[in-house]
Amino acid sequence: MTTNGSGAARRLRFEIFRYNPEDSDSEPHMQSYELDEAPYMSLYIALNQIRETQDPSLQFDFACRSAICGSCGMLVNGRPALGCRTLTSDLPDVVRLHPLPVFKLIGDLSVDTGTWFREMVEKSEAWIHAKEDFDPQAEEVRMDDNLAQAIYEGERCIECGCCVASCGVANVNANFTGPAGLNRIARFMMDPRDSRTDEDWFDVVASDHGVFACLGMMACEDVCPKELPLLEVHAYLRRRMLAARFMDKKD
Amino acid sequence: MLTGHHSRVTDARRQLTVELISGASGLVLALFMWGHMILVGSILTGARGFDWLAGTLEIYYIAQPTVVVILALFLIHAALASRKIPAQLAERRRMIELGKTLAHAGRDRPANASAISPLQAHVESQLWIWQVRTGMVVLVLGSFHVILLGLDVLTPLFGERPGIEALTSAARVKAGLWLPYAILLVCVEFHASVGLYRLAIKWGAGRLLSRRTTRRIESVLLWFFLGLGVVVLLVLAEVLPPPFEFLLTEPVT
Repeated sequence: MTTNGSGAARRLRFEIFRYNPEDSDSEPHMQSYELDEAPYMSLYIALNQIRETQDPSLQFDFACRSAICGSCGMLVNGRPALGCRTLTSDLPDVVRLHPLPVFKLIGDLSVDTGTWFREMVEKSEAWIHAKEDFDPQAEEVRMDDNLAQAIYEGERCIECGCCVASCGVANVNANFTGPAGLNRIARFMMDPRDSRTDEDWFDVVASDHGVFACLGMMACEDVCPKELPLLEVHAYLRRRMLAARFMDKKD
Repeated sequence: MLTGHHSRVTDARRQLTVELISGASGLVLALFMWGHMILVGSILTGARGFDWLAGTLEIYYIAQPTVVVILALFLIHAALASRKIPAQLAERRRMIELGKTLAHAGRDRPANASAISPLQAHVESQLWIWQVRTGMVVLVLGSFHVILLGLDVLTPLFGERPGIEALTSAARVKAGLWLPYAILLVCVEFHASVGLYRLAIKWGAGRLLSRRTTRRIESVLLWFFLGLGVVVLLVLAEVLPPPFEFLLTEPVT
């Protein structure tokens, strides 16, 4: 059980951003709630308790409770994190919660990450562009194990938006593909089943909305709840674009 | 007129070229800065060692083209690297705010917090902001310094002959230039070491070294060259005697 050092459970104060864009009378403000800390209490548990016992109007998103659905991203004391994966025992007595920036606010802590990610996927056509028509009878083409692992690593992204919210460029440039977007592009660039060549990717990845817009602030990797190697993904894209430009010219 | 795809490819090529030139010019300038500090460090052996080294570099025409090339690289780097600074005040404020909150997140961290606590300090965003600030200072004070040294090397305007001389340098530092030089020293060493760290990470140093190790190397280099620079300034200001002067002292016969 988390204690304040004297053996007693802590009384936590939550300062939560409140604003409902649907309500014309609503003004952005911070609202305080107090709660007794319980053992292994996550922000998911704490926020549900607040909503059930103190304020049913509080808006926030959760679905899976186990860092898979990516819907509970929020700013915890200024830093993007997943509510379900964050234990109050790792936090100080006062916890400030804000919605993730960059994304459209639905209300209070709830943001619409879906529209942002859908636009990113559509812009970069982040799906397999097959070389041949799919033959369900044919034997599956074998893939090198290391390559399969690397592709899987990119696929672990849960699209929570924490990296995007922490990215200085994404915060000021709405057209930036963003760390999660670049990660997704890298995943398809690696995939031998995808027919697109580096030249096809070049104008997307090397554009001023692609990897060269990245300032190298490195926050994306530091806040990623899935600990994806985003900096190496970006470096891989930079190196690959360099090779595409000067070494691997085809046709 | 270029078609949509064609113009996008041309634009992307330009982006890549600019990224490469700004990174490479930064790399060369940072490495030059460290080499320069070592050379200026010859003042630690006294005026004799300093003047001999400066004279050698000038006699063999190494110093003269170097001043011109470094000034050109300096201006190219400033022009290209500054393209990433947000133009709007609101954008800058947002970046500064973000850098600050991410860096301050670690301050409230409880002592027993686990490794996945969201309250771990992230400083690299704020370091980027400081790189912009120090870059501005380096642009002003560095231009002054390079042009002054250019006049030293290429003209007989200062001192007894064309060239860098310990006596002239010491007189300038004592006359008050120690202050802009001290500011330039801190800014340039910070800008160069953090810039190289960022450049290394951007192109994949993570495959060879952990980020922690890369960061540690950056810190060691930063503090070493800062320390060396401070001692050099103190010697030039004649606050400290040259500590290695005995190396070049004529033997007593």
